[in-house]
Amino acid sequence: MTQKKLKINYEVWSERLTKIYGKGKEELEAVSKIDLRVEPGIHGFLGPNGAGKTTTYNMLVGAISITEGEAKIRELKAGSVAAKQLIGFLPQDPVFYEDMTGEGYLIYMGQLGGLQAKEARRKAQELLDYFDLFDAREREIGKYSGGMKQKIGIAAALIHEPKVLILDEPTANLDPLGRVDVIQKIKELSDKVSVFVSSHILSEIEQMCEDVTMINHGKIVVSDSIKKIKKSFVSNLYILDTDMNEKFLEILKNKDFISKARIEEIDGKIHIIPKDPAKLQKIIPEMLIENKATLLSFHQPELSLQDIFMEIMSKKEDDEK
Amino acid sequence: MKNDQSSLINKIKPGVEKSNNKVFQPLRTWFGKYISRKTFIIIRKTFFDICSLKKLIITIIAMLFLPLIFIFMPTGIDFGLISSHHAATIIGIALLFPAFFWTLGIAYTSIIGTSGSHLIAEEVSSGTMLILVSKPISRIKIFLGKYLAVIFFGMLISFISIFTIGWSGVLIKSGNIDHFISLVPFLTALYLYSVFIVFLFTSITMAFSSIFKKSRTASMIVLILIIFSFLAFMIIRTLTGALYGTFQIYHFDLGYHLGNVFVLFIETLNAIPPSAAWLMFFGQITGVYSLTSTIDPDQGINLGGLDKTNYYLPIFSLLIWILIAALLLFFGIWSLKRREISV
Repeated sequence: MTQKKLKINYEVWSERLTKIYGKGKEELEAVSKIDLRVEPGIHGFLGPNGAGKTTTYNMLVGAISITEGEAKIRELKAGSVAAKQLIGFLPQDPVFYEDMTGEGYLIYMGQLGGLQAKEARRKAQELLDYFDLFDAREREIGKYSGGMKQKIGIAAALIHEPKVLILDEPTANLDPLGRVDVIQKIKELSDKVSVFVSSHILSEIEQMCEDVTMINHGKIVVSDSIKKIKKSFVSNLYILDTDMNEKFLEILKNKDFISKARIEEIDGKIHIIPKDPAKLQKIIPEMLIENKATLLSFHQPELSLQDIFMEIMSKKEDDEK
Repeated sequence: MKNDQSSLINKIKPGVEKSNNKVFQPLRTWFGKYISRKTFIIIRKTFFDICSLKKLIITIIAMLFLPLIFIFMPTGIDFGLISSHHAATIIGIALLFPAFFWTLGIAYTSIIGTSGSHLIAEEVSSGTMLILVSKPISRIKIFLGKYLAVIFFGMLISFISIFTIGWSGVLIKSGNIDHFISLVPFLTALYLYSVFIVFLFTSITMAFSSIFKKSRTASMIVLILIIFSFLAFMIIRTLTGALYGTFQIYHFDLGYHLGNVFVLFIETLNAIPPSAAWLMFFGQITGVYSLTSTIDPDQGINLGGLDKTNYYLPIFSLLIWILIAALLLFFGIWSLKRREISV
């Protein structure tokens, strides 16, 4: 009963989801017993290339079979027609019917999604307008730029009004402007539809998502809100900047509660790793008054998702060794 | 009285509806399960993909090429002096070889084979199938949509080709519309045969398209099958002589079975009366007929004759290959259902 109730609250749910390719000696476990819990909003799916993100997505949309375990899209078995009615999918490097016009393609996708011809046309024009493609609606998709193709792909995923949007590396192969544009659209869409988006560019995920699942070698490494993940990885690094940095460095180096202290060449600030952070926080105001120095900044730098990911990966690799 | 009648109707009607529902409801449910509006959307898209105006024109010209040569061959007959039925028979015999061997043979099967071979394989390898299968439509409907599009395309091109060769034959030979009307049973037989061919070869090509990763592989296998059916087995039959029957090679000879089915349609519709000319042709091309020894007891000479080889009853050939086509259709659906779609 509890488990059933849990499933209802998740947009995407999986239990011991596994995909094994090949047999015998050539057996390859691409995804290994992963438990996904994707809640409404934007959920990031992170991992390096070959981590198993695309394989997981392909199982969720029913493109490939599930070797073991199960997956559900809002209570419905992943891969079933009913579950597919709830999802909109943009694959990694999507391929389109190049000779179709943007509008024709969207209408076709809309009709396959269950819309009547008239409704599909109306919806297609609405989406073309939203994605700034209205003027190019009669142009063949083969003549679209990479960014336009990516947008038409997202529009095609959205046309039958899904509840969950599954986007596999939607910003891959885009120029910086195209990336910003696509990320902005995804953020806007998240008001109406839940988004489960993958990327190996962590800064992008950080911009878009509140929750993330990190995957490596087919296994989930961590899955939580970005805030919680960051909290659990609080750095022990403090950065101090005054108008007397060199003098302060000398004083701090001689303190027994300081583990390491040095002036970083890049920013010219004092980077301090204390053994006892409380003592450091207490002594800094005293030092400033004593030396009549001016405080420019004193803070703990926030770790980026990239830093955390790298730390987790290196820890995992150390553990495996 | 009127009230009595209406109450009687009311009493009967629900019963009638009930029995109709009993018969049609499961059929409707089954049909709706596999053929829906979405299937028609796939059919329409695929049909226009494989049937552009340019391709249609080229296809029809290719299919008409050999029959037109035969039509232009002089017969030395004054069509004004003979009956419509006789004229239709002469035109029919002139068209028989090119229609069976080329229009509905090598040309037609090659066009069907190559039109269907890329429909699944290429979509999977290019990546468009990945988006298609992620849409709320079952793979059975995707397969059937593409399959039926090829069937409709085949039925359209065979209709145009058969109508054109019949009409051209009449126009060039006699110019009398009555002769065309007399030719209708022959043209109908050709069309029914073409429906059988399109069903068989669409099933073959779509099954291969569903299995193989490359559409080229699927096309190659279908083309090899066509070469074996219409050319290679003709040589094998001639070279092996009596051994062909002794070792029952005809079991594997699709060309023989196609000939058998073709003759079945011609005979059933009384399209053309038997004549030595076309029996001999079918004997050589398909092995449906063979020369027999008939010794005249009075004069002691071999009169010869052309009898059916009857390795298979024609109706069995038809049923066996319909069954094979149906099995290939199910196999194609089954393999697409199981296929891993990823780029």
